[in-house]
Amino acid sequence: MRKKELSAFQNYRLSLPNEDYEALSAFLTEYHQHNFLSGNEKALMRADFENALLKYASLGVPLGTALERLSIAHLGGFYARPSLRWFALDNAAKIYPFSMAHGRMAVFRLSVYLREAVIPEFLQIALTFTIKRFPSFATTVKKGFFWHYLDTAKRRYSVEPEASMPCRPLKVAESGSQSFRVLHYQNRISVEFFHILTDGFGGMVFLKTLLAEYLRLLGVDTEKGDGTLDIDETPLPCELTNEFALVPKAQKASGFVDKTALQMSGKLSRQKPCRVLHLKMDSAVLKQAAEGYNATVTTYLLALIFIAAKHATDETEGVLNVQVPVNMRKFYPSDTLRNFSMYCGIKLPIGRIADAQSVVGEIAAQLAKKASLDAMQQMVTATERLVGGLRMIPLPVKTPVVKLVNSILSDKVFSTTLSNLGVVALPPEAEKYVESMDFVLGAAVANRASCAMVTFGSTTTLSVTKGTPDPSFEEKLYALLLADGVPSVVEGSALYED
Amino acid sequence: MKIELVYPEKTKQALQRSRVLRIIRWPFLLAAYLCPILNLYFGGDAWSVVVLWGLWMVWSLLISPDLVEYNRISQTVKLMEYTCVLLILIDVCFSQGWAVDVVFIVLFSSLIVAAALFFTDLNKQKQNMLPMMLFIAVSLAASIVGLTLWKGRVLWPALLAGILALALAAACFSVLGRDFLLEFKKRFHTK
Repeated sequence: MRKKELSAFQNYRLSLPNEDYEALSAFLTEYHQHNFLSGNEKALMRADFENALLKYASLGVPLGTALERLSIAHLGGFYARPSLRWFALDNAAKIYPFSMAHGRMAVFRLSVYLREAVIPEFLQIALTFTIKRFPSFATTVKKGFFWHYLDTAKRRYSVEPEASMPCRPLKVAESGSQSFRVLHYQNRISVEFFHILTDGFGGMVFLKTLLAEYLRLLGVDTEKGDGTLDIDETPLPCELTNEFALVPKAQKASGFVDKTALQMSGKLSRQKPCRVLHLKMDSAVLKQAAEGYNATVTTYLLALIFIAAKHATDETEGVLNVQVPVNMRKFYPSDTLRNFSMYCGIKLPIGRIADAQSVVGEIAAQLAKKASLDAMQQMVTATERLVGGLRMIPLPVKTPVVKLVNSILSDKVFSTTLSNLGVVALPPEAEKYVESMDFVLGAAVANRASCAMVTFGSTTTLSVTKGTPDPSFEEKLYALLLADGVPSVVEGSALYED
Repeated sequence: MKIELVYPEKTKQALQRSRVLRIIRWPFLLAAYLCPILNLYFGGDAWSVVVLWGLWMVWSLLISPDLVEYNRISQTVKLMEYTCVLLILIDVCFSQGWAVDVVFIVLFSSLIVAAALFFTDLNKQKQNMLPMMLFIAVSLAASIVGLTLWKGRVLWPALLAGILALALAAACFSVLGRDFLLEFKKRFHTK
């Protein structure tokens, strides 16, 4: 009879000296005591640990050190306990399940570029250890009788090699499916989130914590705090709250309904997004250019976006409206990892847009007014009222109505978006391993471009998500920056158009 | 503007559902418009109502399935409910009288199928309890309505559907215990 061929891990195990063999056996026994997932999931996770151990061996890391880094204690009780927790959607998240369609989903993406190629085996283990610290992320979307909700899904959350366009919709239909994905490509780690889970702030905390854990597995210990969580700490209740409920109600409620805005003229692509571009700039030079106009970086970039959008449309009349998300945590300091952002629209009649100098003042004034605490409170109040009004209506009744309203309004109220996550800080030990970061918004329905930016170290990355093959917008933006003495290195995807 | 590519190269993509939907939408819409017009023009039985419902069934079960809560319980229940409506429509539009018995037979058979799917994979399927609970409620209501409306008639399928629905609800409660209440709390929350 033919002997069954041993796997690479079995061969490795058998090659170990007695003491190491015993240590490894104890490690695997401990693994089984900490994992009560279904047979297949448990086997896959065990294979993850085996692959990580083989990787350590290939890197020449002694087994003792490898076992210490992979310590099963980091699994905690997450995989050993049944799923009991569930989370009602926060007020901002409630719209997202209704706005979904085949091929369309509100997804955003955060990436970190390392100085060396990502080791997938360690990234997988980092995710396995990290996810337990984010219980509202370890969930699956479910339908209730009145509202959708997030139900805990105890499973092996997997990392994938990047093979497709960024921000493609996630498959959340089946019970237990992930509402986020972790991707790796060359030196980049990316996390794409269904917006139902979190906003940019919460997403960044997850990415930073995942990165810290990945680096720990590489032998780099980092300090926790400042948006990097300790994965072995018990999740705090304040990280899971719907903070919208805590915002005081305003007398007036407004901020939702608006007239449709001008759109850029490029033909909408079938594949969305059809391209993603990153304009990488020196943050000091960008700041200096903004100061030249006596403006903040956001105001300055908004001005350039208005000019570029004007350049990308054939319309000569109408109003361009740029959506600017506002992080509510700046008004109500909060540790919540759920959605806690609102938005405002900065509007300019297309005829009044000439150059940056002529519009920065108006943009700054609008930003100060529309992104103010008062305006945000009014919007939160409007959201509360809307949610309250729909509360007792069964989901099958409200779904077609909300879908219809959403399809009429969708993103046609805005011409484009600029979401600025600001400056991201990492623990000093981690900083030297990271080259840059980027933040990408998913493609909108009607908008031809959406912009998002983040600054890490000395690099500001402005990402443009395209919904049209027409390159006018980004080319103008690039030229405007260059004209103001802000050269940018442009990276991105090929044009994906069917 | 020189662009350095930092994403994987474009590969031939699998046919996406959104694309299939775009292509197939037109024959469906055409059929949906033409059938009532032809039916009105030529007269006779209201066959177009049955066709329209059939088109909707194919569209929502096969071509554009649910984006959330797509699981074996929900899809079985949906198929059975849609089938019952189709049977009622055929009965109303063509030969009347037989659907009362047939619909209840379909109902209690569906309850058996749903129960089998649920209890053979309890740990996972308890997350999919709502569609089954709603189906139980619908079956129970239909049974009560059937037995009340057709009082003089021997309607054993309706009685059986009602008894099965009650038994299934009781079985869910006794097997799941605390989990049943927790599932109920999640599913009916208004927060």
